[in-house]
Formats: sequence, C-alpha cells, structure tokens
Amino acid sequence: MGLEGDCANGVKGNQTPRIGVFVCRCGGNISDVVDVDRVVEEASRLPGVVCAMAHTFCCSDPGQGAIEQKIRQQGLNRAIMAACSPSLHEMTFRRTVARAGLNPYLFEHCNIREQVSWVIKDQEQATQKASRLIRAAAARASHLRPLEKRRIPIHPSALVIGGGAAGLTAARDLAFRGIEVILIECTPFLGGRMASLHRIYPTGRRARDVIGPLIDEVVNHPKVTVYTNAQLESATGFIGNFLTTVRLMPRGVNSECKDPEAAIAACPEECLDQFNLGLSRRRAIYKPYDGCWPPIPAIDWRSCTRCGACYEAAGGKGIDLNEQPRLVEIRSGVVVLAVGLDTYPVRHGEYGYGVFPEVITLHQLNRLMDPTGPTHGEITVGGHSVRRIGFMHCVGSLQHKGIHKPMRDGKINEYCSRVCCTTTMHTAAELKERFPNLQIYDFHEDIRTYGRKHENYYDQVSEKGVAFIRFDPERPPRVDRDPLGEAPLLVRTFDRLTFGEELEVPLDMLVLATGLVARDMSKLVDLYHCSVGADRFLMEVHPKLRPVEMATSGVFLAGSVQGPMDTTEATAAAAAAAAKASALISSAHIELDPFVAYVNEDLCSDCRICLTVCPFSAITRNEEKRVARVNEALCMGCGTCVATCPSNAIQQAGFEDVQVKSELMALISRPAERLAAD
Amino acid sequence: MSANGKLKVGMYWASSCGGCDISLLEIGARILDLVQVADIAFWPCVADFKYRDVVGYPDGYLDVCFYNGGVRNSEQEEVARLLRKKSRTLVAYGACAADGGIPALANYRTTREIFRAVYHENPSIDNPSGIEPQPEVAVEAGTLHLPRFYPAVLQLADIVPVDYVIPGCPPQADRVWETIHAVVTGAVPPNSSSQRVGCGTRTVCDECPREKRLVKIKQFRRHHEFRPEPGWCLLEQGLMCMGPVTRSGCGALCIKAGVRCEGCYGPPAAVEDQGAAMIGALGGLLDATTEERARKMINEIVDPVGTFYRFTTASSLLKVGRHKEEQA
Amino acid sequence: MPEPATEKEPQLTKEQSEALGWEPRIVGFLCYWCSYTGADGAGTARMKYAPNVDIIKVMCSGRIDPELVLTAFARGADGVMVLGCHPGDCHYTNGNYKTMVRMPLLRRVLDELGIEPERFRHEWVSAAEGEKFSRLVTEMTEQVRALGPLDWPRLQRERGVGHGADLAAWGERP
Repeated sequence: MGLEGDCANGVKGNQTPRIGVFVCRCGGNISDVVDVDRVVEEASRLPGVVCAMAHTFCCSDPGQGAIEQKIRQQGLNRAIMAACSPSLHEMTFRRTVARAGLNPYLFEHCNIREQVSWVIKDQEQATQKASRLIRAAAARASHLRPLEKRRIPIHPSALVIGGGAAGLTAARDLAFRGIEVILIECTPFLGGRMASLHRIYPTGRRARDVIGPLIDEVVNHPKVTVYTNAQLESATGFIGNFLTTVRLMPRGVNSECKDPEAAIAACPEECLDQFNLGLSRRRAIYKPYDGCWPPIPAIDWRSCTRCGACYEAAGGKGIDLNEQPRLVEIRSGVVVLAVGLDTYPVRHGEYGYGVFPEVITLHQLNRLMDPTGPTHGEITVGGHSVRRIGFMHCVGSLQHKGIHKPMRDGKINEYCSRVCCTTTMHTAAELKERFPNLQIYDFHEDIRTYGRKHENYYDQVSEKGVAFIRFDPERPPRVDRDPLGEAPLLVRTFDRLTFGEELEVPLDMLVLATGLVARDMSKLVDLYHCSVGADRFLMEVHPKLRPVEMATSGVFLAGSVQGPMDTTEATAAAAAAAAKASALISSAHIELDPFVAYVNEDLCSDCRICLTVCPFSAITRNEEKRVARVNEALCMGCGTCVATCPSNAIQQAGFEDVQVKSELMALISRPAERLAAD
Repeated sequence: MSANGKLKVGMYWASSCGGCDISLLEIGARILDLVQVADIAFWPCVADFKYRDVVGYPDGYLDVCFYNGGVRNSEQEEVARLLRKKSRTLVAYGACAADGGIPALANYRTTREIFRAVYHENPSIDNPSGIEPQPEVAVEAGTLHLPRFYPAVLQLADIVPVDYVIPGCPPQADRVWETIHAVVTGAVPPNSSSQRVGCGTRTVCDECPREKRLVKIKQFRRHHEFRPEPGWCLLEQGLMCMGPVTRSGCGALCIKAGVRCEGCYGPPAAVEDQGAAMIGALGGLLDATTEERARKMINEIVDPVGTFYRFTTASSLLKVGRHKEEQA
Repeated sequence: MPEPATEKEPQLTKEQSEALGWEPRIVGFLCYWCSYTGADGAGTARMKYAPNVDIIKVMCSGRIDPELVLTAFARGADGVMVLGCHPGDCHYTNGNYKTMVRMPLLRRVLDELGIEPERFRHEWVSAAEGEKFSRLVTEMTEQVRALGPLDWPRLQRERGVGHGADLAAWGERP
C-alpha cells in the first residue's frame, strides 16, 4: 500500500513530529515584501517545530546543502519549505530531503511567493499570511506518513494506432530505437491523407514521393508488425501493460493472388471512388493508386455482391469471398494515438456546394490537379474548361454564433484550421504556373500564412495577379447561378478592402478551402480515458511542458489527432511522441506519484457507489470480501472517490481527510485573545 | 446494583414521541427474562417514580439508564444532569438523543416561528387570546414555573458525557435486546465515550436485498409519483434513499417494505455529517455531463435539508439554521 | 411560515471592520492543475489582490468533499471558495463533473441554513485565468467584508450547542 515503512534513517511516520521549517528569501523576491526573519521566529514557536531558518536561495546547491545538514543535525522527521510555487521546486526539495535520509513525502511545500509576496502590496499583511500558511503546513506535516513511489514494469513494445504520416513516423522512430512496434490502420491501405495529396508545401514535392519511402522503411523493418483493416475492439490495462484487442476485418484478397489487375477488371460492380473524393468511380475490388501498400487489392464489402467474377478471373487463387474477421490481442507498454482528423463536411447548399457541380472542395481540386487523378491534371468541370476560378477561405472554420450552423454536437467551429490558407496560396501558385491565363479570385476573412516561408506563396500569387477580396464574416459572400448566363456561377460579396463596395464575380469554378475537424473518436476516448478539448480534438497534459502526453500515463498523441496541423508539424509531433515513448520504455520501470486512493476495508459497506465514479476504472469489487478495491497501477490520484464514498471508507495518501482538515483548522482558527474579547 | 443483586434500570423521555419507550417493550416476551435480572427504578412512561425519588438515590445507583428524546428545554437538561449523576452507565437511546432526531429539524426555525405555528396558526388550535407558555406565571396560590424553551434542540452528548449511544427511530427490538444482554452479562465493549452500540458496522446498503445495476440516476422522483421496480436499488431509480449514508442494524426494514430509507440510524461510523456524505455521494451518481442538466436535476430535489438531515440535524456540522435577524 | 424579511442592517465599511479588528477569513480549495496554477499565474504577472483567501491545494476539485466546506463554515470561516477546471478540461477527465453536481446542491443547503450566497463561491478557473482569479479574490473579500463575520461557532454557542458537555471538567464519575 506504500503507507507504512520506515525511511532510511529509521524515522517512523508515527513518531512525535520533529519539524524543521525552511524559509527562502528567494533573493529578495520573497524577503522584499515578507519579513522573513519574523516569519522564521514565529515558525520556531509552532507546536512540533524544532528549528526554523532562512536562506537566500534554498534551491541552490549551498541552500539544499544547508537543509540537508539541518535535517541530519537536528534529527528532523518532517520538513517544511516556504518558498516559490511547488510546481517549480517541490520535486527538487523532495530529493534534497531524501538525500538527508528522510522519506521524501514527509515534506510539505508552502507557496509564499506566487501566492503571497508577489501578489500582496501591504508588507504586514503579506508577513501575516506567510506565517499563517506555514502554521497550516506545520499542522498538516504532523499528520504526514512516509510514502513510496509506485514502480511499474514496462512491456518493451509500442502500439501505434493510425497508419498515416504521423503514425508511420512514430513507428519508424520507435523501431529504429530497437522497440517492438505494432502499427494498426483501420483502412485497407497505409498512407493516410497524404497518399491522396498531389504536391505539398513548402518543398512542392509530390506527396507520394514523401510518404512512399516512409512506408517502405516501416513495413520492411524487422521490429514492426503492421495490421491493416484493423478496428479497435477493447482496451484494458495501464502504463507499462496495455492490452488491446483488435478486430481484423476481412480484406478478401491475399498475396496468393497473382493477377490482381485481371480480378479488378472483371468486377461488374462500380461505386464512387473515395480516393478521388467522389469525382470518379471504381470497382468493388480495388487498389487506390499505383504503389499503394499493401500492393494487394482490397474488397469493398458494401459494394461487393460476392458474384465471384474476380475469383474466376484470378484463376481461383488468392481471393476468399467468405473470409471472416479475426481477433488479435496486442500487449504493449505504451500506446501512440495517431488517428488523424477529418475535413469539414460541407453542408448541402453552403456556398452552393452540392447544388452547383461547379463548387468543389480544395481537396477535390487537388485531385483534379494530379496528373494521375480523374481528369489527368486538367482543370475542367462537366467537360467545360475553367477560365475563372475562385477560392473561398474559412469554410467550416472561424465560424460565428448566429451566422453559421452548428455541427451535430450543437457546437460551431470557432477555431482556425491553420493550414488551409497556405494550402490555398500554394495551390493558386501552382495553378498560375501551369495555367498562366487562369483568372483567380481569393475570397477570405483573413490570410494566415503563418509558417516559415509560407508568406512567399502569398507574395508570389499577388504578383501574378490573383485578386484578393476580403469579406466581413457578418456578411459572407453569396453564391448563385449567374442570371446573365455569362458564367456558371456568380459570387456576390462586400469587399472590406474597398470599404464595403459590393462586387459581383463571375466564375467557372469555386473552390472551398474547407476546415479540419476532429474525427468521431468516442470509442478511442472511452477506451483510453482521453481528455477532449472544447474543439473536440484530444488534449495534451500541458501545451508547453508536456505537449504530446495524455493525462492517462503511457498514452501519447502524435499529429493532427491533437488539432489542425500540416504534415511537417504532424511528423514533428510524432517524432516527439516516439522520443517520449521510447524514453519511457528504455527505463524499464516507471515511477508514479504515491498519491493513490486506498480502501479501509473495515469501513467499506459494499455500497458500490465508487465503482462507477473513477475516471480511470481503477476501482473494482472484491467479490469474496464484499468490499471495494483500488488498483494502484491505474489510480491517477484525483481523489474523486474519496469525496464520493458515503462511508468515508476511502482515503488518498498525501491528501487524507485528517491532513486536509488539520490544514483547514490551522488556517481559520482565531487567536484566543480575539475570542476572549468577543 | 442493589441489595437484591438485581440491576437497576431507568428510562427517561425528553423531547420525544414516545416511540422509544414503546420500542423497549418491543422485546416482547424477553421482558420476562429482563425482569428476572433487573428492577425498574425510574420510567415516567410506565411507572410512578418521581424526580424526588431519583434525587434521593445515591450517585451511580442506576446501573443502566436509557435517555431518549432530544434536549429542548431546561427541565430536560436538568434531568439529564441528574440522571448522569445517578447512573453508572448513561445511554443515549434513539435517534433524538443520539443525533437530534425529528425534533431537531426545529433548529432551522426561530422560536417565534415555532410558537406562532404551534400556538396561533395551527389549524386545530383554538387560542383566541393568544396564550403562549410562560416560564413564570403568577396565580393565586403562588408562582407557577414552566421549563424554559431552549433556542435549539441538542443531542444528549451536548449536555452530559454519554457512555453509549443506541441509534434508530426507534432502535430495533433485536438490537436493543442484544445490547441489554451485553450490559447484563458485562459483554459491552469497553466504554469509549459515546460509542454506538446496538447497530452494525456498515451501512444499510449492506443489509439491503435489492440489486445494484451501477447506473446513474436520470431523474429524482418521490414515492407518490411512481411504483418502483422491485429488486432494484431505489436510489438508482431516483428515490432519495439514504441507505448509503445510514448506519446498518435495522435490517433494512423500510426498504424491504418498499420505501426508501430515511436515515434514522444516523451516519456511518466514520462520518460526522450525514448530509455532507450524501451530497458527496450524489456527485458521482447523477447522469449529468453539463452544468444545465446538473442544475436541473438538483433543483428537482425537494427539501434537501429536511431530506439529508431528517434525523441528524443536531449531530451535523452546522447543527442550526441562521435566521435573518442574525445576518448582516 | 418563515419570517418576513427584515430591513437590511447597515453594511460595514472597510474602516468599520478594521476598527472591530476583524478581517474576512476565506478558505479557497483549489485544484492543482487548473485553478492553483492559475493563481500562480496571477503571481507571475504580479497582479495585486486581497490577502484574505488562504489556499488549500488538492489535486482535483473532485476531491473536495462537501464535509470540508461545511467544516470550514462550522469552525469559523467567513467564506469558502471552491475552484476547479472548466467542465471538459479536467486533468483527470471528469473529476470536476462531480464538483459540478455537489457544489450547487451544497449551495441549496447553505441557502436554507442562512449562509448568504456571497460567502460560498464555486467557479471554474483555468491555468491561464490568473486575472480572473485575482478579480474573484478581491471581489469576494469585499462582499464578505460588507456582510460581516459569520462566526458560526459563536452562533452555536448562543443557541446552547456544546454548553454542557465539558468532558474534561467532569471529573470522577460514579
């Protein structure tokens, strides 16, 4: 349970407290406002306090040395530090105390800088408050018990969920460090969103030339196992020991099939090709593009009628129309989430989408521009060539209440999707290069080419004569058929750059720069207890200090599952996640804070109310004894169960009721003199 | 113990309904065993001893004295102190003496409000001249004295040190017999001031035969609004069953009769404030993931104070209500 | 039937309460990841606010048992503040959803017991809302100052609670 136990110099937790109080001057940050000498003097008179001293910089080497010396000299069994915020140096001083032979959890850290000297003007009030907080810390310290950090062994493998650029980068980096990697992808092919892109900024290279080699590195690495067509079934476990069950959906085709082209050609069924975003059709048995991985076709069961034509054409080998799903259990020490995101589902009628075939999305235009795409690189719509093209920014991003309709969960997307402006500028630049006579109009609320050298695209297309029209989000542009018939579309808008002048722009094609939204990750969130932000993307523990870690230890975020970002950013995040994950695995054990909940079985009434309250499912029922039990490895130390238990049978080490209450009483007790005067 | 070797037993009723006195008789035929070993030395409900008899007893004369009812007036306090002096073992008997009970709900009203309700506005009262009880009234023969009405109902332990507490409204017969038996045979646990006896060590959930489905509460309802499904936890069905925050020992009688527990056996062993424990537990039980929904469900709860502190106002943390004239 | 509301007593000014020698004593229960860090943020920015709120740190607002709040009032606090992460942002995913249920329910009880609403504040403060925190502290301190001391122990004494059982002084028992 980690509560009993002597520490190194044999001091038991339940002996008479011998408290040492250490007050930091913090080089004036504290002592300029708080009368530290007086505080030290008042502290020395507190019950249980054996000695009190001040130091200019307690966190410095000499400062820590002085504390260690005092602890040994005076035989202290409790230490209180009154200094800056615990978020900075609580760990430091716990180590100091441990070096002196005292259990590091018989230590209490008191914040008299961020919450006293830096925020209180009146020196007398600041001094009184510092004294009061130290008095409370001393009261709490008397009830502290020695605790031991939890050591959990780590299984030396990583599960990476998602086979796009981020997942592949994480898998590669982990494998290169000698870690076993299991990569699962829910679609039949690796590559994610990048596989369907044409050219990418800032280098202008073809996306498949970038993702192709990455896929090769991953699938050919001996430490990597890849499962495609894999669905998450269940996940249990905890850091160091995750157990995930995956359902492998049938592909229908395997490597024994020697003539996949013939099989595909023989298929009589057709459906919309999602790889080309519905701009073309494909067969029910298909490969999305040449060079895909695996290089084996897959069967789209929604369109397949199991007629067997492909089987016949392939010579009766390598195709199994009756293939069944199978379950695979994966044990891993860490989990990396790299499931990516979706594009904003444009509403029917939004800027004419779905009503006018000339209105398409930026991603769809990307497919048209690809020489291997459905129109072999020609920009046409309905067979007609395109002379005038418009780009509409912020479709599904930077939405405003009352103007834009919410998504299915009732919320609008108030955030910026980050990458669409640069993508639009980059696309416009390529169009101008390939089709110099193309007239391009850019309708935007704002232009955010934020990245390194991204502004160059904007300058480039400006010089080449792209017309920029800025609209007011309160009065967005309207898209209709041109009543004069000069062009398929007419866009009417008020241009803020010319003080609200109304413009009418005839266009052959309008391209919507659609925003990015989080995928439906409810199952993932449930299985891995993920924090989700208000924007529906997964949330990291701390954006600066721990940007790729989840609150659930051992689960890491890689890429756009965390928010809109481009490939450069996603792969950087994935590399960071891989680095963090491998650091964890290479330490073989992980040490977790000892602030776990525990059940006093004598008081537990088997009411079972705690079982559904734990956010991490750490509490189960001991059927034999009819009491609740906390799994120490799963407990994250929130203390919610402590406040819930109707019998007060659950306590939290380090935040016991008796500890918190003693702190509380010391803060609100009034001096006897004042009571007598009442 | 007296000369005849039999135990001397007393029972007193303070601010009480009389149910506790009756409950002592609920031990049924076992009373015949009791009178073999014990004599009643003071029991206003059934026997004609006077206060002056008790005053005349030597200190510690009563081997066991059961004091039921809350302390509401000066007479009840006086007798509490007297009985403490004259008893070897003083037992706070029943919810009122243990925790304040139903009478202590008056602590949320002023004396003025209480007197107005009882002596003036009560529908069945006929008091045209508006008479209220007075501590002193001069009559021909002299001055009459009535006990002074206290500003709050108190637990017995607020007045005198108490040796044991038997909770319950009323304490269940079997539990009472077990306790008497323990006292008679000397098997009572060593006195640790205000030790609760005649009850279990867990909460009513432990004695409850209904099953928990571990689902969240969707809506709060009261008994007259629907017929609860048998066999399924009443709290999960939306009735405010206080079972989880109530000491076991009654055998879950009310729940077995199809109605929610009201909390009469007082708080569990490690809980000081029964209402706080219930509010804490409800935090994890509601099917609410937005503030609006949480607020809506909370506002549906009828009379939270009266429900959560029905029997335990005097032993709760705040114990009384603060009236308008006491506020700034 | 409850009493009709009496006329409000004149409120205490800062000078008057200083003359009485009384300063509002308010306890704040803050969750480490959001509100405590937010309070630190106010310090880093050197914002100045009233010194009357003493902070007790817990890891999550879900740890805050209503018993702690009631104990604070019962033992003499003039006000209690409970702060947590905004719903949806809890470091432990949903600890604050429990707080979201407990505190409004507790408020209903406190209202009926005559503890003015200004004395019990339950707010969401994120790690980035140092400014909101400092504003909250100053605002609540002034509101509680205007209401005067709560001094629940004195209220209980005046009602006779605990006046008799002076156990230490009881002496020899028969």
